[in-house]
Amino acid sequence: MELLVLNGLVNGLIVGGVYALIGLSLTLLYGVLRIVNFAHGEFVIGGSFLAYVLFSSLGLAPLLALPVAAITFFAAGWLAYYVLIPRLARSDDPEIMSFLMMYGLSLALAAVMLLMFEADSRSIDYAFTPISMKVGPIYVSTARIVAFGVTIVISAALAWFLYRTLPGKALRATIMNREAIQIVGVDVEKLSAFAFALATGIAGVTGVLIALVFPAFNAFSGAEYSIIGFIVVVLGGLGNPVGALIAGVIYGLAEQLATVFLPQALAQIVGFGILVGTILIRPTGILGWRVQR
Amino acid sequence: MELEGNAAAPRAAERDSARRIYFTLAAIIGGLVSVYFVLVPVFGLNLAFHFYLMLWITMASAFNVASGFSGYMPFGYVAFYGVGAFTTAILVQKLGFPVLAALPFSGIAGVVLGLLFAPTLRLSGIYFAIVSLALASICRLIITNMPEEITGGSFGLQLGSRAEPVLSFYVMMLVMLLALGTILWLSRSRLGKALRAVRDDAEAADMMGVNVVRVRLYGWLIAAFFPALCGGIEAWYTNVVDTETAFNTLTTAKTVIYAVAGGLGTVTGPIVGAIGMVWLDELIWRQFPRVNLLILGIATIALVLFLPRGIVGTLLRRRPQWRRYIP
Repeated sequence: MELLVLNGLVNGLIVGGVYALIGLSLTLLYGVLRIVNFAHGEFVIGGSFLAYVLFSSLGLAPLLALPVAAITFFAAGWLAYYVLIPRLARSDDPEIMSFLMMYGLSLALAAVMLLMFEADSRSIDYAFTPISMKVGPIYVSTARIVAFGVTIVISAALAWFLYRTLPGKALRATIMNREAIQIVGVDVEKLSAFAFALATGIAGVTGVLIALVFPAFNAFSGAEYSIIGFIVVVLGGLGNPVGALIAGVIYGLAEQLATVFLPQALAQIVGFGILVGTILIRPTGILGWRVQR
Repeated sequence: MELEGNAAAPRAAERDSARRIYFTLAAIIGGLVSVYFVLVPVFGLNLAFHFYLMLWITMASAFNVASGFSGYMPFGYVAFYGVGAFTTAILVQKLGFPVLAALPFSGIAGVVLGLLFAPTLRLSGIYFAIVSLALASICRLIITNMPEEITGGSFGLQLGSRAEPVLSFYVMMLVMLLALGTILWLSRSRLGKALRAVRDDAEAADMMGVNVVRVRLYGWLIAAFFPALCGGIEAWYTNVVDTETAFNTLTTAKTVIYAVAGGLGTVTGPIVGAIGMVWLDELIWRQFPRVNLLILGIATIALVLFLPRGIVGTLLRRRPQWRRYIP
């Protein structure tokens, strides 16, 4: 039992790291653009499929797929921003309409992936040597450890970017007060495009990590990750990057430990229950940090 | 005094004539629609297509009460539909109810579920949408994991040889007319006006003496009742219920898309939207079955970007004076 719990803790930390990245990119989008990205899971799974294609056709190792995914998805996000977002702002209620539009995008992307890869689950047959490592008394697959290392590096880089560089500070300022930052002379349009591209890029990279951490993925896995992303983002407080990181890890731990003690279906219900409970009782998230309107 | 009376009289007359046109128009449209649907089985037209057309008109119109009238976006709307479907299926299959006696209980189940979800009505905007989505998932998971003797587990329930396509078609038509009548009444009633006032500014409505909580709840229960009935009738029509299809997110998506396509907040909007989109969907489905989902997704994006107020909504914005005549 102790071993099982320890196993749950270690895997929870690893899985939680991935959830934290999903939440972080999702919360950036909401904070800066007021867009609720229902298609985020599809962006993520798109990254997984990119890694799959790179490995199966070019033999490129998943770690090398990381930069490719980052650049591809960043560029795609930049483009998508200018196609989709400026027009959206003209509707009566852009926030709710963004939810609907992104739902449409999610359907379209899932359909494209379905056409390209069929409905079967895919996985990358890449093995690290050694295939697993001993962490204390338990064994963890090397792929998961590598993924965790990458997660930490990316989170650290993002934290540095958001808190120590001028564009990062401008991003956080936009989240806090979109009107005021325009008075200071920041080009919000450009910054928003950058935020969208950045979030998409992180999503793509997260997808590669998912291919390492989870055994398989398919064209319809996206919705699942979108929902997990929502739970994490709401727990951390909408638009709060630090909150999303912490909430992601907490949710990952809770989920993995719940599977130790509860049947899997019940564990899922607990996840949704946490979401509903948080919004009803403490809508500002665990850190109690409110986004200004 | 007299001057005032003279000025008011023509305005009152004008209002009366506008009302007459409004109701005449509603009656003509309602009459035409009824006659058309009544004749579908008589002339042997495509029964399934028209059944689902009526189902989507009902779903989109009821959704309109929650969104267009009350300002909520329940992205887990399918919960009511799914629970309605399972209520009828369980009552018929496990307790031996006749289908027609079971259907009202589907509606009641929808209302009960609406009451259970009522605490979420104090949320707004995106929080409400996300919570609604999560609640629908919880409903699906609970029903999937109930003992197999009750809900049939992941295999679902079969209603046996009780399918009566033509009868269920007419029952669906009755429910559709009931829904449209309710919404037509609502749009002119005190409750409908209060709902709109609360949607636009809850505090101001409260100041004017509107019981915000109660008004919201009534609107919400109307919106919960009809999809549950639709679920029950569809279960009867297809003879089978399982959690994957009864709680399919696509059902919510289609409801929202059809309602938005026509225009939220008008009585005719969701009808026009459902007719247009169901027809388009059928056309695409027949021509390109493989890319149906892709086209539905792209259509949604295009709709939000180019026609966010929907067909009727855009028309009324161009011609605001028509607002008095068009239901």
